[in-house]
Amino acid sequence: MKEIRTLIVDDSSVMRKIVERALRQAGLDTLVVHEAGSGVEGLDLLRTKQVDVILSDINMPSMDGLEFLRQIRAQSLAPGVPVVMITTESSEEHVKQAIQAGAQGYIRKPFTAEQVKERVLPLLRTA
Amino acid sequence: MPSLRESVHLVSDPRNLDVSVEEVFQLMLGVRCERDGLPLAAEPESVTAVVGFGGLLSGACVFRSGSTAALKIAAHMTGMEFDEIDDTVKDGIGEICNMLAGAWKGKVPNLAANCGLSVPAVITGRDYNLHVQAPEFQIHHTYRFEDTGFAVTIVCDGLR
Repeated sequence: MKEIRTLIVDDSSVMRKIVERALRQAGLDTLVVHEAGSGVEGLDLLRTKQVDVILSDINMPSMDGLEFLRQIRAQSLAPGVPVVMITTESSEEHVKQAIQAGAQGYIRKPFTAEQVKERVLPLLRTA
Repeated sequence: MPSLRESVHLVSDPRNLDVSVEEVFQLMLGVRCERDGLPLAAEPESVTAVVGFGGLLSGACVFRSGSTAALKIAAHMTGMEFDEIDDTVKDGIGEICNMLAGAWKGKVPNLAANCGLSVPAVITGRDYNLHVQAPEFQIHHTYRFEDTGFAVTIVCDGLR
């Protein structure tokens, strides 16, 4: 079975583990997870690793998730790789900003494994 | 920019906090928790997480518990066991406070769109108090789950 290479970006190591667990519960048994604690770390990782999907928090110190996303697109890192934002920010305005920055999906915290499955799996099928 | 002054009754509705707490605990920890009118039981060590609000509303969401509740919450979040308040426990409590703040402000659309959140700050220690000077309003509730308790406070010190 093909490996699913995932980059999870969140300043909270606990949230990174929770997102990984939700992906495994969603049926992604062949998951290879790369973790980054900030947008800067995430960009560094994307220069050396290939991934199939990126899940990123928005509210992070030093470089927030939206800037991380803009930099991915501006530097042509991970072209064609879907990005899903996972965040406590839930207003229409925040969703619009994320989509404008190039996100393909949006998951609001708190979330269920089912919600992660619904948002992420279709993106992996079309990627 | 819209004003929150006209919807202050919605912003300060205490039920929003209860629903937010139940939602976060059910979805992220898989546990039920209930509002409890009792003060927090004193424990030698406590954990306080603070997430600031900025924008149309300024203030903070404050989570406070003794070490018993903090260790249980971190265990539910990670699937690991903890016997002391280490960095992972603090990280988990900070995230719980972050989600509580986000869920609470999300209950009022005008607030969700026009109020930002800070990254969480977590304080641990013995025998300390958090003092807030004359807030515009304050909602302070205690909750129970699995025979232990915690408190959540929404402090609003400015509303535009």
